[in-house]
Amino acid sequence: MDFFITIIEQGLIYGILALGVYITYKILDFPDLTTDGSFPLGAAVTAALITRGVNPYLTLPIAFAAGALAGVCTGLIHVKGRVRDLLSGIIMMTALWTINLRIAGTSNVPLFSKETIFKNDFLAGLFPDAMGSYSTLIVIVILALLTKVVLDFYMKSKSGFLLRAVGDNEKLVTALAKDQGNVKILGLAIANGLVALSGCIFCQEERVFEISMGTGAVVIGLASVIIGTSLFRNLTFMKATTSVVIGSVLYKACTAVAMKNFEPQDMKLITAVLFLIVLLISMERKKKVKINA
Amino acid sequence: MKTKTTAKVLGAALLTMALAGTTTVYAEEQYTIGIEQFAEHGSLDNCREGFLEGLKEEGIEEGKNLTVDYKNAAADMGTCGQISDSFASDKVDLMVGIATPSAQSLYNAAMDAEIPVIYTAVTDPVAAELADEEGNPVGEITGTSDKLPVKQQLEMIRQMLPEAETIGIMYTTSEANSESAIKEYEALAGDYDFKIETAGITTTADIPLAAQTLIEKVDCMTNLTDNTVVSSLPTILEMANEAGIPVFGSEIEQVKLGCLAAEGLDYIELGKQTGKMAAQVLKGEKKASELSFETIEEAALYVNTAAAENLGIEIPEEMTASAAEVFEEITEAE
Repeated sequence: MDFFITIIEQGLIYGILALGVYITYKILDFPDLTTDGSFPLGAAVTAALITRGVNPYLTLPIAFAAGALAGVCTGLIHVKGRVRDLLSGIIMMTALWTINLRIAGTSNVPLFSKETIFKNDFLAGLFPDAMGSYSTLIVIVILALLTKVVLDFYMKSKSGFLLRAVGDNEKLVTALAKDQGNVKILGLAIANGLVALSGCIFCQEERVFEISMGTGAVVIGLASVIIGTSLFRNLTFMKATTSVVIGSVLYKACTAVAMKNFEPQDMKLITAVLFLIVLLISMERKKKVKINA
Repeated sequence: MKTKTTAKVLGAALLTMALAGTTTVYAEEQYTIGIEQFAEHGSLDNCREGFLEGLKEEGIEEGKNLTVDYKNAAADMGTCGQISDSFASDKVDLMVGIATPSAQSLYNAAMDAEIPVIYTAVTDPVAAELADEEGNPVGEITGTSDKLPVKQQLEMIRQMLPEAETIGIMYTTSEANSESAIKEYEALAGDYDFKIETAGITTTADIPLAAQTLIEKVDCMTNLTDNTVVSSLPTILEMANEAGIPVFGSEIEQVKLGCLAAEGLDYIELGKQTGKMAAQVLKGEKKASELSFETIEEAALYVNTAAAENLGIEIPEEMTASAAEVFEEITEAE
């Protein structure tokens, strides 16, 4: 039972990260490597604030804002500096390593003795003792759901529509008399804000900030997005955002099962093979449709 | 009539079975432990070996009454978390964390599962918030610390190289144990007329360049308990030897590989000490929260005469005589 609870908890936290990667990768068609830097940025900001006694619930919007700022920087480098999308992300990711170290103060900041969104007096009063071990799961589910719903709401707005337009057809955006560069920057800001939010929650769940916790975050995000969108491609009733979050949970489930049966050293190869299988399956479906048409 | 007999027979049978149950010899207690080691290198491996030795000396032996689930995180934080979660969901009797990131990750996973955690090779348990400032455990977690004997190391370097002025230290910016060790070095270096030059790296790939920069600026180098640097020690030694710069180690394995000398901790002894603490918790004699963390105060001198010859350095007689172990050749990394 614990096994499944952990998978769902981890899957939902990384689901928020996957939502961010979904925006940049699928909607904006912008391979954004800033993620590896903005995930720990959210965590660094959180660690810095919590160790200074700030209310842990305030860390959520502040981490989002920090990530958004990082996204804006990437956007400016890309749009104003005319640097390729991949390279802009790499530049920010590298810069953020130092920035994160400075913000957190040191490379390892433990939060065991501090109040977090999962462990504080308010929560202790809210949940009876019997539910104690499920309180983390419930808080995470609420946060993930809230984020997804707000994002869905936003995507239906005019601004959200422009975001989707700029990824598919840049000329349409210009035809609507909007600056496509600004729209891209906005998209990057929202996406990295979500990634940083995910980092904030992860840091409080793990109760420690480690500078290297972002390494490989973009891979996990991409895997979740691809698994989610490929598997649920044909289910029209399922929104893309939902399928991405479910994809994240599935990805975490696979790695957890792999961890039980294989050595940790083999994990990365297994992840790569899994990724490849999912991609091949989704490619095959595409082909089949064309043949029948 | 028949029913009564059947009832009597059944009743007698049940009674016999119940009595038989109570007179069964109580089976020996079986223990399952999960060991999470953060990275692969000699010092941490020594810790693990020593730990299992320590348990054996207390009567808990693998194959007899102990099952060990050993997983190595290969220095990846994500893998660390996953290993901890899998141990917690397997409900092992005890979790062992070798090195700070593993210890912290296990502590986090154990908090909800109520499994005791024993750690070793954690340089600063107080900074890692695994123990409070008086050294008392913050929960069902305790263990041993491999705090570096900085003073003894500086003294030893001064004795061996009377004219050296600058010591170079390479460290990984993501390892908190290295940061606290460097602060100590910088505080004490002045007492021995030394200046410290540092070079920070983020990954193994940065090591050759960082080594090159350091080698040009310093008279000698010394190592910390930095996992990334120690894993790449042969590379650093090759470059340093070519430039004639002696490298001092922090542990016996490093001297075997070709470091000139080390005032080091015996990680096998550290492991044994940890094993004995773990045995107490497993057998239920003490709870982890009742045991304060322990350190090894004694540093022992290890020297490598082959390395000295290559560098053209004469090791003073009294040092070789008082050394705990003298290595006469440079071994290949395993």
